[in-house]
Amino acid sequence: MKDAIQVCELKKKYGSHMVLKGLNVQIKKGEIFALLGVNGAGKTTTLECVEGLRKYDSGMVIVNGKMGIQLQSSSLPIHIKPIEAIKLFAKWNKTKPDFSVLNSLGIKAFENKLYIQLSTGQKRRLHLALALIGDPDIIFLDEPTAGLDVEGRRSLHEQIRKLKLKGKTIVLASHDMAEVETLCDRIAILKKGNITFCGTASELSEKIGRKYFIHIKTQQGDHTLETDNIEDTLLSMLSELKQKEIRVLDIKVDRGTLEQHVIDMVRREEE
Amino acid sequence: MSGFLYGVVLQWKLDIRSKSLFVTCYIVPLIFFLLMGGIFLSVMPEMRSTLIQSMIVMSVSMGAFIGVPPSLLETYGSDIKKVYKANGVPLCLGLVTMFISAFVHLLSSCLIIMLLAPILFDAVLPVSLPFFFLALVIYILVSLSIGSILGLLIKNQAKLTMTAQLIFLPSIMLSGVMFPIDLLPDFLKIIGYIFPAFWGYCLMLDRGFCLENLWYLILIFSAAVIACAILLHKQKFK
Repeated sequence: MKDAIQVCELKKKYGSHMVLKGLNVQIKKGEIFALLGVNGAGKTTTLECVEGLRKYDSGMVIVNGKMGIQLQSSSLPIHIKPIEAIKLFAKWNKTKPDFSVLNSLGIKAFENKLYIQLSTGQKRRLHLALALIGDPDIIFLDEPTAGLDVEGRRSLHEQIRKLKLKGKTIVLASHDMAEVETLCDRIAILKKGNITFCGTASELSEKIGRKYFIHIKTQQGDHTLETDNIEDTLLSMLSELKQKEIRVLDIKVDRGTLEQHVIDMVRREEE
Repeated sequence: MSGFLYGVVLQWKLDIRSKSLFVTCYIVPLIFFLLMGGIFLSVMPEMRSTLIQSMIVMSVSMGAFIGVPPSLLETYGSDIKKVYKANGVPLCLGLVTMFISAFVHLLSSCLIIMLLAPILFDAVLPVSLPFFFLALVIYILVSLSIGSILGLLIKNQAKLTMTAQLIFLPSIMLSGVMFPIDLLPDFLKIIGYIFPAFWGYCLMLDRGFCLENLWYLILIFSAAVIACAILLHKQKFK
């Protein structure tokens, strides 16, 4: 199966500052793919080069399919109404608005308000609706749930999952690791214009070194231990606590969150 | 084509909702017309024959130099321009729709002045209405093309306001619309000739539609179109 997006040796500099230093990445059809990285890592520049919104200096970008781009909140005139923006985008894309999609995003409830009067969540939903006009194969989402409340995030995550079920490829840039962990099939970590890791979240934890985290709550307080050998550490820790007659209130074991893995990965690269 | 027409109509509505263009195209020029029309005629009754032309030059200059550039800056100096790229439509579409919309607003404002001036101030209508309207259309096009350069070129709201005033005020003060240009010292007269308002005013006067008054406006318009094309081209590859 052909990749939805192929990026080869992508380079981009602003003045003398090299932002992308020969970036390579392939995104498969039908997957949800996340670009992660700290501020200034080059996420938005990468997305904009792939989307065709920004010219790059050298390299190659191949996009196999129609693109839909969720733009930032500042990208519509403040006095436009959602219904007008939807009709305009539909006319530009030579299509008719799919009202089932618009209804599922709840656009109807605020379609006649001015853009300036919309809440952050309503703006995000509108921009997603606009990105979906023209039935694109590949959808780019830049910080899709930033500034949304819990219900807004849940609703938008549901929409993104529905799009995946329809076979759409979704590329998102996000700072929200929990969101990425629950939604994405693969992730790429960008650091100083290069991809330092590309794969699944479990591949990342493998690469980091299969660490386990033991979170223990006792009468004397909370503690977290990092270990490679879960069985021995747990047994020796429990026997020590028993010897000292410290009562255990709660105990949890996990392999760390994606956020911890990404931080470890970035630190490791720096070292 | 339907997308283009919808875009023009939508822009026309947005201009009214945004108020800034509405104020500079209708409210301020019409208030100025109502106040100054009476004052002018009481001081200089002979201005009755040129009142319509004077007020129209003032109205068009204000709308084109002060009202249009901020709207363009709002689009081309922000993320709004990405909307065009993201939907595969030419970047110039925003400029074209704003230009057409502003043209309709300015023409409407001028028509209101033309209709009210004879009733309120006993102003004299132009002898040849076809030539007058042709001259008016040309002056609106030239003024809007200059306003377009300002909106595309200057990326800072404060600088834009200052530059727009530097073009608008001499256009009004030195073009003969407020008082006869013969009253000005020679060096101010020469400066007045640089601004298209002087030539637009001359072109709209009775028996003023001639090549002598037209060539400079055509030159400015052609240069402005080229400048806008270059500025948009630069935006495209940013």
